[in-house]
Amino acid sequence: METQIAKTAAATPRFQEFWRVFRSNYMGLVGLIMLIIVIFVAIFAPVLSPYDPSSTLNVTTADIYNPPSAAHWLGTDDAGQDVLTNFIFGARVSLTIGFFAAFISLIIGGVFGIIAGFYGGRTEELLMRFTDIMLVIPDLPLMMVVIALTKPSIFNIILVIGLLYWTTTARMVRSQTLAVKSRKFVLRARAIGSGKGHIIRRHILPLVLPILVVQAVLVVSSAVLAESTLSFLGLGDPTALSWGQMLNYAFGRGAMSTGAWWALVVPGFGIVWVVLGLTLLGQGLEQILNPRLDTHHLMPGRPIVTSEAAKVIEKVSGKRPLLEVQNLSINYVNNGKPPARAVENISFTLKEGELIGLVGESGCGKTTLMLALLRLLPSAGQIVNGQVFFNGRDLTALSEEELNTVRWKEVSIVFQGAMNALNPVRTVGDQIAEAIIKHIPGFPRDKRLQERVIELLELVGIAADHKDHFPHQYSGGMRQRAMIAMALACNPQVIIADEPTTALDVMIQAQILELLDSLRKKLGLAIIFVTHDLGVVAEMCDRVLVMYGGVTAEYADVDTIYNEARHPYTQELLKAFPDLTKPKKKLSSIPGYPPRLDALPAGCRFAPRCPLAVDRCHKEQPLLHKLGAAHFASCHLLEASK
Amino acid sequence: MKRWRDLLGKIGWAFFTILFVIILNFFLFRILPGDPARAGVRDPRLTRENIEAIRVRYGLDKPIINCFESLNPVKIGSCAVNPLDTQFFIYMGNLLKGDLMISFHTNRPVTDILSERLWNTIILIGAGQILAIIIGVLFGMFSAWKARTTLDYASLTLSLVAWSIPTFWLGVILLFWGSNNGMPIAGMSTPGMSSYPFFTRFGDIAKHMFLPTLTYTIVYMGEYMLIMRSSLLDVLSEDYILTAKAKGLSIFQILKDHAIKNAMLPLVTIIAINLGFTVGGVVQIETVFSWPGLGMTIVEALNRRDFPVLQGAFLLIAVAVIAANLLADLAYSYLDPRVKTE
Repeated sequence: METQIAKTAAATPRFQEFWRVFRSNYMGLVGLIMLIIVIFVAIFAPVLSPYDPSSTLNVTTADIYNPPSAAHWLGTDDAGQDVLTNFIFGARVSLTIGFFAAFISLIIGGVFGIIAGFYGGRTEELLMRFTDIMLVIPDLPLMMVVIALTKPSIFNIILVIGLLYWTTTARMVRSQTLAVKSRKFVLRARAIGSGKGHIIRRHILPLVLPILVVQAVLVVSSAVLAESTLSFLGLGDPTALSWGQMLNYAFGRGAMSTGAWWALVVPGFGIVWVVLGLTLLGQGLEQILNPRLDTHHLMPGRPIVTSEAAKVIEKVSGKRPLLEVQNLSINYVNNGKPPARAVENISFTLKEGELIGLVGESGCGKTTLMLALLRLLPSAGQIVNGQVFFNGRDLTALSEEELNTVRWKEVSIVFQGAMNALNPVRTVGDQIAEAIIKHIPGFPRDKRLQERVIELLELVGIAADHKDHFPHQYSGGMRQRAMIAMALACNPQVIIADEPTTALDVMIQAQILELLDSLRKKLGLAIIFVTHDLGVVAEMCDRVLVMYGGVTAEYADVDTIYNEARHPYTQELLKAFPDLTKPKKKLSSIPGYPPRLDALPAGCRFAPRCPLAVDRCHKEQPLLHKLGAAHFASCHLLEASK
Repeated sequence: MKRWRDLLGKIGWAFFTILFVIILNFFLFRILPGDPARAGVRDPRLTRENIEAIRVRYGLDKPIINCFESLNPVKIGSCAVNPLDTQFFIYMGNLLKGDLMISFHTNRPVTDILSERLWNTIILIGAGQILAIIIGVLFGMFSAWKARTTLDYASLTLSLVAWSIPTFWLGVILLFWGSNNGMPIAGMSTPGMSSYPFFTRFGDIAKHMFLPTLTYTIVYMGEYMLIMRSSLLDVLSEDYILTAKAKGLSIFQILKDHAIKNAMLPLVTIIAINLGFTVGGVVQIETVFSWPGLGMTIVEALNRRDFPVLQGAFLLIAVAVIAANLLADLAYSYLDPRVKTE
């Protein structure tokens, strides 16, 4: 009893959360309303309809195909009956058939899908092959044949549609089951020896259910369409006047030649209404389950906000460093909720040939910051303050076209996890050549272009004969190096390397780091190196920017960071990495996780995890204190030592 | 080497599917209740002898399939009939010879009837399919590119409405409109046209084709638009699009060189799978416009209980759809380097 109550209590917020999202999805909402209206009409048909559908007693020939009038709002049909009445009662037949047929097909598809996905092996092979066969056989002719050979009755129609419309459901459910099966909690349940039935009921079904709901909505609409088609073709139940059956009678009994458009338009309108309502609802639910628009890379960026004060600084330009980031702040717009402050007030500079390390745990806004430099943020991201000067030009003020001459030509990026960063259907060489053609006008497009591509590949240690291979033929390390070759293609001045070694094994990591460092020395590149590995930073970097929760924790040259770190976060980070010179030192990790961007603490963002935090840290955000010529840290404890 | 094995596997699978359809097709007409002879020739004046004669003529007097004991080596010969002299093996033998039996209704070989009408259907599907794909893909592209703009919402709404309209109903409405506006309302050509010069005849057929093709295009255009939009949206959120943007390519270059081809690849398979549903649409359109194709043949055969024609038409359609799927599968593995060079 108690667990029952606990369960419903837990379910309510989830439903409320769903409803909150659903309410802002107009497509789904309109569909739901359309569906509710038609179900309402079907249920209250006897109350709503002006006539009794079974009374045909007083019909004379004068009543046939009468146009709409006060007595018959939507006219009369071939039997002299009121079209509106038949239309309202027709909703009952069409919906009943649709829902029952969908129910049968969902059960078959769901069971097949779960069994195939969960048991795998031979069972899966057999079931999915059978599904494939059924998917290929044209369904309408098959349904027509089966119904013609048996008897056109409501029961047979429901059965035939139900037995033929389960294929897509089975496929969807199977792939979802496969995805769920490998999740941790299912593996754990199997490891502790839970029964298969138990695992399916308790762990798999709840996660397959959302897919099944979307699928249900779509299958009902297909079933309603199928029923109306069969009825129209004369295979419907002659005793049940569905919308399709009404159209069959009207079309076959002279509505065309008498010009009785109402008898043709009205029933079809009902079908479109139901199918459209269900489709909209299905699309809406799908969008909620699978929100992908948020990462659409071609959406126009949000307008950049720059404060007037910042613009004044711009005019005081003398000799400037290569890249200068000033007070950059980035928000993520958050669907009605207050925006998430992903990055706040970050400033740093980068000189020619310099390597700066950007360090912090995952989710600290490092990638967001890097993408913002070239204005590559996803559409929800917005620069709300600050500027990015490259060679004295403010990148935040350039037009897209002007910016496209800076991107890759001057500043290129090596993306994290180059697995998907290369286009899978074009050869690697082709993708490198593309950058050259775009940015070096007049570069000959003949053998010399190919030679240049080979030269670049060899520079990163990839043999020339891999030039015409596709990314999937490369290993992970090769892809990462190919990405670096591509980044070097136009001799840029700055390379942003966003965790270029995260997904790779230690040997290849070392190779790639060495490669970047040697290229820097050879070509005089300036590099921004994003990493969560302080060890890497110690070896290569000139300066280090430690980020925490989107703000600067500490910013100084590499020696200062390692020997005189002042911010508690930097100190904790250093304790978490092995130091070869002090092999006996105990390693410690920082308990807890970085803050979620939509739930930032009121005071210092590190306070909840900080071992030294005092009352003030939880209430007030610390300022960035200058501790030396080029040493900054943001912590209340440093105020006194200023 | 592996590619050839895959190829053979795919072709073998298609043949297996066809075999399945053949067997299903045979038993569907034998197991379901109702005597084909009695159902096919419904005339109360028929005597028992007449019916028996009809059964003999169409081979319906023979056992459907021999008793299973004939498969048991110990009991060979215990069955009364020759295993090859059963309806099933006669049917299979005839199929191998390309013989689909004789129509109950017209007494003509089914193959003749179907081959006359197959082309009419192919013309209709071909024209409609090409138009629907071109229009649908273009709309889908713009919609995905301009996601969440008025243009996107407008074309999305339009497509969803088009998708929700029953094919036959759209046909009926267009036919109603056409019949009041001087369009030809039935068939493929005006009677007596065959003596006219080629171009006049061609124009006449084109005029007859207009409304059926329009119906087809509207109904399937929405679907292709939705598929292309969704496919392109998937591609546009891929990391390699971000790479392309970081490379300084213009939006047009990104779409042309990185997004469209990748988004079109899954479309090849989906178009082929859709052919199965498309057939359903063609049956409806041909019925409404009396277009003398395979779909109308099926509906006619149904109404006349002409089972040999029904059986033959169903088989032909199923085989065509399976073959189209096989072709799409092969085309896909040729077009997608990920499959090709694996």
